[in-house]
Amino acid sequence: MPQKKPTARPTDVVLRIVGESGEGTVTLGDVLVELFTGLGLDIYTFQTFPAEIKGGTVMYQLRTKSGVTLSPGDVSDVLVALNNQGFGLFGDNLRSGGILLYNSDAFSPPVDPTRTDYALPITTLARAEKDKVRHEVSGEQLKRLPAPVNTVGLGALLRLVNAPLEPAEEYLGRVFARKGEAIVRMNISALHTGATCVAEQIGDRETPHVGSRPDHRDRIMVTGNQMLCMGAIAAGLKFFGGYPITPASEIMEFLAKELPAFGGNVIQAEDEIAALGMCLGASFGGVPSMTATSGPGLSLMVEQINLAGQAEIPVVIVDVQRGGASTGLPTKTSQGDLNLAVYGVHNESPRIVLAASSVGDVFWTTVEAINLAETYQCPVILLSEQALATRRSTVPPPMIERVTVKERLKPAEADLGPEFKRYLDTSSGVSPMAIPGTPGGMYTTTGIEHNEFGDPTYTPDTATKARNKRFRKMDTLLVERGHEFVRTWGDAGKVELGVIAFGATEGVVREATERLRYAGHLVAHLHLRLIRPLPVAPINEFAVRCKRLLVVELNYSGQLAGWLRVNTDMTFETFHRDDGRPFSSHDIEDEMLRILSD
Amino acid sequence: MSTTAPVQFTPKDYKSDLAPIWCPGCGDFGVLSALFKALSACGVDPTKMVIVSGIGCSSRLPGFVATYGFHSVHGRVLPIATGLKAARPDLTVIGVGGDGDGYSIGGGHLPHAARRNPDITYLVMNNNTYGLTKGQVSPTSMLPLVSSGQKMDPKRWKTTPYGTTEDSIDPIAQAIAWDISFVARGFSYKPNQLADIFAQAIRHKGFSLVDTFSPCPTFNQEQTEEFYKSRTFDVPETHDPTDRSAAFALSVNHDNYPLGIIYKHDDKPNIIDEQAHLRARFDGQGSLQELLARFAAK
Ligand SMILES: Cc1ncc(C[n+]2csc(CCOP(=O)(O)OP(=O)(O)O)c2C)c(N)n1
Ligand code: SF4
Repeated sequence: MPQKKPTARPTDVVLRIVGESGEGTVTLGDVLVELFTGLGLDIYTFQTFPAEIKGGTVMYQLRTKSGVTLSPGDVSDVLVALNNQGFGLFGDNLRSGGILLYNSDAFSPPVDPTRTDYALPITTLARAEKDKVRHEVSGEQLKRLPAPVNTVGLGALLRLVNAPLEPAEEYLGRVFARKGEAIVRMNISALHTGATCVAEQIGDRETPHVGSRPDHRDRIMVTGNQMLCMGAIAAGLKFFGGYPITPASEIMEFLAKELPAFGGNVIQAEDEIAALGMCLGASFGGVPSMTATSGPGLSLMVEQINLAGQAEIPVVIVDVQRGGASTGLPTKTSQGDLNLAVYGVHNESPRIVLAASSVGDVFWTTVEAINLAETYQCPVILLSEQALATRRSTVPPPMIERVTVKERLKPAEADLGPEFKRYLDTSSGVSPMAIPGTPGGMYTTTGIEHNEFGDPTYTPDTATKARNKRFRKMDTLLVERGHEFVRTWGDAGKVELGVIAFGATEGVVREATERLRYAGHLVAHLHLRLIRPLPVAPINEFAVRCKRLLVVELNYSGQLAGWLRVNTDMTFETFHRDDGRPFSSHDIEDEMLRILSD
Repeated sequence: MSTTAPVQFTPKDYKSDLAPIWCPGCGDFGVLSALFKALSACGVDPTKMVIVSGIGCSSRLPGFVATYGFHSVHGRVLPIATGLKAARPDLTVIGVGGDGDGYSIGGGHLPHAARRNPDITYLVMNNNTYGLTKGQVSPTSMLPLVSSGQKMDPKRWKTTPYGTTEDSIDPIAQAIAWDISFVARGFSYKPNQLADIFAQAIRHKGFSLVDTFSPCPTFNQEQTEEFYKSRTFDVPETHDPTDRSAAFALSVNHDNYPLGIIYKHDDKPNIIDEQAHLRARFDGQGSLQELLARFAAK
């Protein structure tokens, strides 16, 4: 690929919009995302949703950057506050010297000399715009016509960050075309009114600069959930059973729309137990199957995850983790289900636990999840997180020609017949699996301990042999591919401090590591993609390079740290919290600095 | 399902090498041999069929049939069978289990199987008790109420030593209310009738429920072979199973239970056909490249 030249002045601006849900806050954010993407910039968003069905405060943070964006940004350069409540709840991350643009019709914030305020009577201005076209629209339409509050705000904001207005004009023309010329004109006028009013206040002050990269085109704008679905389709998913739950529902909704065209089925089950049951049935029938849920649903699936482990049935279970225990913080993010994913089982059976780390990565991790389930004939739990699942990001489109689909091991002709051993004790632990319809492949799968034919047996000898065979698959996986499931960043040799993390913290840990290296520290980062079985060898190789180690995770008690203690002899410090918010890179950097300096 | 093929398989062909582990006199033997006969009568190819079961004495049945089997967990026969049938409409799918498995722990799945109406035959071996866990009350147990003051045998009915505090479920009336598209009742000790009911259930296109009185002589000494012989009658020839009200009226007499086909709803829509319809609409035209292109940043 030819090297792409960024514009002379690189862009890196963080905007945060807060306001009442259902009153255009999210729309305003989405429009900005579209406009900035159109300028060739990269985008990384972070949103918090109210748990209320209607109303509540929403926060939409968006970072636009000319080039790779690893996090939504720790502090915002511009805060747009449409109401007082939003300002109170989410107004605290403005950087020193940052800009507050607020609706002065709604509230007036206390004076703060560390920021520059732009007061804009957005409601009044918008009403005046509506008045200008009053005589041109019919009575019915006029009654339903909202004053163009968001458009005034959009114009003001674009001017504040020195972005061109023309793409916005074009956008408004397109979106409002079917409402008539007068409405288009009203919006374009509102856009300029917002821009002009702000321009008067700016005077000759410096404000942030959103540039453009006209040559930077080949990207897609997607959420983590959408990328996950496309990864599943790429890997040949043919059956999905699910039950709605925030923040995983979008996966079922996406697949319900798209999977039939790929020859697959989606069933909305009556509960999560049925959802996983359907997947096991479909997989027994020979097709790659997947379900998706969040913590409460994963809890209901535990019994059948064990069945899949014991009976050796491939299946993928996506857990889009959300905040809090029980109903907890259902619209917030967390990494609190690691324990449930690795330990949630009665007695013991093999399983694989993977963790996705970014919107780009989740495509490949999902491909991997389906391939691993099919290859090792076991349940694969794929951990995602609310922040990653709902975030919109620009990413390069995945190179789908690089996807390889792995099929489960089928019996050879010679293996079939009355003596067919479905659970043949092989050196890899993987046995040939006949699918119904195969002559000579008949067997009854069962959760009862069984011999190589699948027939129930209870003797200590067979029990030991059978279990060793099943767990051997996990050893095989680590030997064959363990090293592929860690990523390392930062300094390559001996370092003062190494950070171990998993999941969606990858971006912020990378940023923190980069900043500290830039400041002259020797630091490195190991990111785990595979949690169970734990790739101990590459972890140990990393650990010996590090004078000290820090394990970072977004949960209350340090679950990854616990899992590492069970599986390795490393000593490390831990950093964890679980209050619904993702980490910022400064959270991580501060903690790393604390260790580096003591 | 090759229902019209000439008999290619004798009942013996469906018998596996595993000997049933049931107690002597268990009603489930009758269900197994009736199933062999029905499969043979329908000409079902054993390589193209799967028997799905839950957990319980009755749920051990798949292992005793020379075909594909899925002995799963307690109560999840119907979701597993539904997923299997959705993925593989070409297979004959039969679900089996006990009354505890199907009406208690798995009872929540029945109305959903009814509304989806997949082509699955579900055979419940109803012994009015929990056999495998050795004789606790089940949702179909017929026990005297505590208030009746009747003496209980303290060695049996271990969770209801003073009688029951709950009424029982009537699975047939319930099934008709949910519009399960084929509802029948059999009795293990009427083998020919049972085989015929099973065969009709297998041939029925849609979800069929056959509740079979299948006595457990080990733990239920009330609902015995003799008890059912004296409390059952054959569905009269004049009964029209497509008449839902008549079917309901027939089913709610709890002193005397009808044996035979009680309710049928032949042209009920079913999920398997609807999904085939949906796939046909897109004709496998899905392209990941095009899907990704829809998300291209403009
Ligand atoms: C989740 C779960 N809970 C409880 C059990 C214990 N259990 C096994 S079989 C059974 C009930 C058996 O009764 P039924 O389904 O009527 O079948 P039967 O043995 O009478 O044929 C119970 C409670 C279990 N295996 N799994
Ligand atoms: S306990 Fe009852 S149901 Fe179980 S095998 Fe014995 S007789 Fe049959």
